[in-house]
Amino acid sequence: MTKRTRLFLLVAAGILTVGLGTGLLASYMGVQNLTLIGGNGPAEFAYVPADARAVGYANVRAVMDSELRRKLTDLHPGGDHARSFQEQTGIDVENDIDYVIAAVSGSDPASGGPPLVLARGRFDLVRLEGLARQEGGTVEEYKAIRLITHGDFGVGFMEPGLVAIGTPAAVRRAVDTKSGSATSISGNDELMRLVRDVDDGTVWGVARFDSLAGARLPLELSSKLPAINWFSIKGLINGGVEAQISAEARDDVAAQDLREVIRGFMALARMQIGQNVELADLMNSLQLGGQGKTVSLSFSVPSAMIDALGALRAHRRPEAPQPAPDAPGPSPEAPQRPAPPAL
Amino acid sequence: MSRDARPASFMNGAWRVFELSLGEMLWSRRTIFMAIVVGSPVILAVIARIVQATGIAPLRVNGVRVDAAGMFGMMIWILFLRFIVPVLGVFYGTALVADEVEDKTITYLFTRPIRRSAILVGKFIAYLVCTTLVVLPAVMLVYFLLVPFGEIGASFTSLLTDLGLLAIGLAAYGGLFALVGTVMKRPLVVGLVFAFGWEQLALIVPGYLRRFTLAYYLQALVPHAMPSDGVVSLLQSVFTDTPSATTSLASLAVAIAGSLMLAGRVVERREYVLDQ
Repeated sequence: MTKRTRLFLLVAAGILTVGLGTGLLASYMGVQNLTLIGGNGPAEFAYVPADARAVGYANVRAVMDSELRRKLTDLHPGGDHARSFQEQTGIDVENDIDYVIAAVSGSDPASGGPPLVLARGRFDLVRLEGLARQEGGTVEEYKAIRLITHGDFGVGFMEPGLVAIGTPAAVRRAVDTKSGSATSISGNDELMRLVRDVDDGTVWGVARFDSLAGARLPLELSSKLPAINWFSIKGLINGGVEAQISAEARDDVAAQDLREVIRGFMALARMQIGQNVELADLMNSLQLGGQGKTVSLSFSVPSAMIDALGALRAHRRPEAPQPAPDAPGPSPEAPQRPAPPAL
Repeated sequence: MSRDARPASFMNGAWRVFELSLGEMLWSRRTIFMAIVVGSPVILAVIARIVQATGIAPLRVNGVRVDAAGMFGMMIWILFLRFIVPVLGVFYGTALVADEVEDKTITYLFTRPIRRSAILVGKFIAYLVCTTLVVLPAVMLVYFLLVPFGEIGASFTSLLTDLGLLAIGLAAYGGLFALVGTVMKRPLVVGLVFAFGWEQLALIVPGYLRRFTLAYYLQALVPHAMPSDGVVSLLQSVFTDTPSATTSLASLAVAIAGSLMLAGRVVERREYVLDQ
């Protein structure tokens, strides 16, 4: 063997050894857990307990300012609900809320219950408290945090510009978590690992699959699905939508099975849509990906497609029938459904 | 009989041929071709990395941004598994014996006190070392260029699987085409037709034909999702039935061992008549 052959073998084996060594070290030490490299989620995670089964985030400010939202508003003009909500609470959803985080905690997926919602923005606390009292709510202090409760509903004013909404027990637990009595979600390595993969989205969510499907899917269907542990979704909203749905299966075989199932559905859908150009663009954007235990499905709804769908909808919308001059209008005496409490 | 004239043991003989052939293979004109083929993904990864650093998504498929791990998976599928591994197998595998016949140098090897099949095995091991030590470091470089450091821990086992299956793929294609090279007159043409004609066709035809391809078993081991990159992928996805990892590994092992044994048998028995 000549000298240059030996040199080549040494260099090639060196690259392999260094690469494998670095990878092994990264896997063993869990490099992704270092906060210097990956973020640790929003600061409000300090209020979310570690046993969260699902967590979601929406950058309301970015969604409201997006071109997509403007187009959708043009398609569906309205906003009466938002206006009445603003009149009652003083909160202008379009301008006063920056982002919201929602989390479902507890070990029993079937227990249900509303999520804990943390909203960051600008709130008129005096007005909200007054409204709560008017609706029959009670105001209390819990660990120096002002808490309004009304039956199974509670609002906590956690810090300036941050409110927590959920059941009174969930809000109290959020206060406990922040004060250090309980571990926060940042200590849940498994969930945080998935959060780091999606937290650059405008909206995103991570959930244990059983918390999503266990209580809702029929047993016949859920028993036939490949074993999925985690499920995540990420959306980037601008003029259109770019989304990625990911699932983490129990093992590589389950992931492979899931890919086959999705691939089959994609092929079926492609055959079904035929010559429908609008949907064909959407179908062509579908990309099945993932490696190892992860399966991901990405798709894009570009701005042009939303414009085309809007134009199509406008074209297909039938002319609104004009009421006959003698037709009876809605009776002023008709019973109205009682409005739910504003908070 | 003097000590030097005694026939070497099979493994000793194979080792001697390996040492001789490795240098020949590495510093032949074929290596330039291999460097271009294997260097292209590395250059693509460097470009992708530079583009990514400017904040632009380096790869979008139908408007959807493909993340770093997805890009790496696509490279493994499209560049390495579907192209580089078969093409290296064809070019090097068919040449193991055919080149010696063509250059009329096989007589020199056959006159040595070494079993003929040991010559084939030595050359095959040299091919395997030569190609794996070029392909696997290239895959490693592509991986570290594309995948962010923070994601290495999560995807490293997939990289190990990729490296393993590429090495198995090189062995399987190399073994098969070594057999082709020993029995066929124009092995390169036959090899190219098999790798890029028969295998592609059989994979999309419903039925059992795909079981007579190497790609069917290799693709079952890939930890990345198959890219949906056209009609062929769509047909493959419709008519797919993926064998288990054990079946695939066993089938590939049988293919490697079987083709090498057959090739060895042919080399032992065949009388090579060199054109004058």
